[in-house]
Amino acid sequence: MLIDITNDSPVKISESSTVFIHNSNVNIEYAFSADSRVLIYCDTDEKLVLNETGYVNGCHVEINYLHLDHADLKQNTNIDILSNGLLTINSTYLGVGDKDIVFDIFNREYNSELDITNNVVALDDAKLTLDCIGTIVKGAKSSKCHQKNRCLTMGNPKSAKVLPVLNIDENDVEASHSLSSGTIDDEVLFYMNSRGLNSAQALNLIIKSYLMPDDEFYEGFEEGKNIQISANRKVDDLCSM
Amino acid sequence: MLEIKDLHVTAGDKEILKGINLTVNDGEIHAIMGPNGNGKSTLLQTIMGHPSYTVTKGEILYNGEDVLKMSVDERSRKGIFLAMQYPKEIAGVTNSDFLRAAINSRLEKNISLFKFIKEIDKNIAKLKMKEDLAHRFVNDGFSGGEKKRNEILQMMMLHPSLGMLDEIDSGLDVDAIKLVSDAILDLKNESNLGLMIVSHYERFFTMIQPTHSHVIVDGKIVVEGDSELVYKIDTDGYDWLYNELKIQPVKESRPLVYSLGTCARNTRG
Repeated sequence: MLIDITNDSPVKISESSTVFIHNSNVNIEYAFSADSRVLIYCDTDEKLVLNETGYVNGCHVEINYLHLDHADLKQNTNIDILSNGLLTINSTYLGVGDKDIVFDIFNREYNSELDITNNVVALDDAKLTLDCIGTIVKGAKSSKCHQKNRCLTMGNPKSAKVLPVLNIDENDVEASHSLSSGTIDDEVLFYMNSRGLNSAQALNLIIKSYLMPDDEFYEGFEEGKNIQISANRKVDDLCSM
Repeated sequence: MLEIKDLHVTAGDKEILKGINLTVNDGEIHAIMGPNGNGKSTLLQTIMGHPSYTVTKGEILYNGEDVLKMSVDERSRKGIFLAMQYPKEIAGVTNSDFLRAAINSRLEKNISLFKFIKEIDKNIAKLKMKEDLAHRFVNDGFSGGEKKRNEILQMMMLHPSLGMLDEIDSGLDVDAIKLVSDAILDLKNESNLGLMIVSHYERFFTMIQPTHSHVIVDGKIVVEGDSELVYKIDTDGYDWLYNELKIQPVKESRPLVYSLGTCARNTRG
């Protein structure tokens, strides 16, 4: 399903969707009871306030975020995973604005599972905060909560803070979190330069290869090819600044 | 043609190169020798533009253009290539994407995918590398020998006019040295490539057959010759040079390694 968000009205999503965000104030409610894949593609030059709530119940849901704009972002995503639910989140945030992102995901019931990977790139003048909070509540036995966070800085960002948090209130669970953070190593940059790539081209290649979804990813979504072209163009623009 | 005139280079406060003069014409093969820590790698890295080195005096011209005014990537696009002693790993970036981007950076119109695949497959086969190399991340998880072959693969794909090889033979077994030297000579014969080669091993030079040889001691070229000089040094070492010229090499400095002492022991048994 193709969803174009152009006004403030709340949007309900319960099946596989490609979501274009053109509005500055967006409220999404998820209600999943069947396997689904969702792509949230932010395409707005204004500051975006994105609030998401909902649940995943007894199915596998994959939600993917691509935010590659100069614009500021305030995102608050609060999702409950109910019994036998698996939620996979893949996010890529790239840019120069103020970005304040909170993932607050709860393993609420038995055998619920979260697998979240966040890739953030903070360029010149960016101020980026990402709180990734996974909570396994009492009673959610046999649940899993895994986080991977990667943060790349380039130029002189104002700040880049990524905070992985695990709150575990149950035994018999599996949980992990990781965070890697840093800038491109000078020697790697020299190596890439020595093959003819300037610094912007080197950064572009690293972002597209390491942090952006691969070609196959886009094929599974309506308008996927156009989103890929648009996303690559945005990376080109940001890297050439 | 590369012309180096009275080149002085420092790293931090320390002067490493103390007046190098050298000319490399197209099609010539120059062996650069000398004891460790006396400036061979510094010379190659300086020509490539490594930011750790500062040129305090002298000039480097390539086909009449001032190399020192060029950025590293410009030097590469002008045809200068450095096969590194310790190639870097770039996790997440495949060899294929890396090489295509590097090739496209020097073309007005991007290379077609078909042509690229044909070219890389041909060169991978020539160097007897693993077929999945193009899809592996750059040097990530490669053995020492694979990394060195990958440097030569990159050189074959980028078609430079000046190749600088920094101990490219170290880490290669006898068969691999033969493969690599054959590939280098083929490239030289196809494109009249000029070469500057740093190596400690006569075996490699026997296969490559340098037209010129230079020995760097304490940041200066102290003796020059042809391939005969390579064989003499392989047989007699450098002591005869030190005695004859009354010079002393710089002793290679290595970072101190501190013992962790009892902290390193497994106290739990």
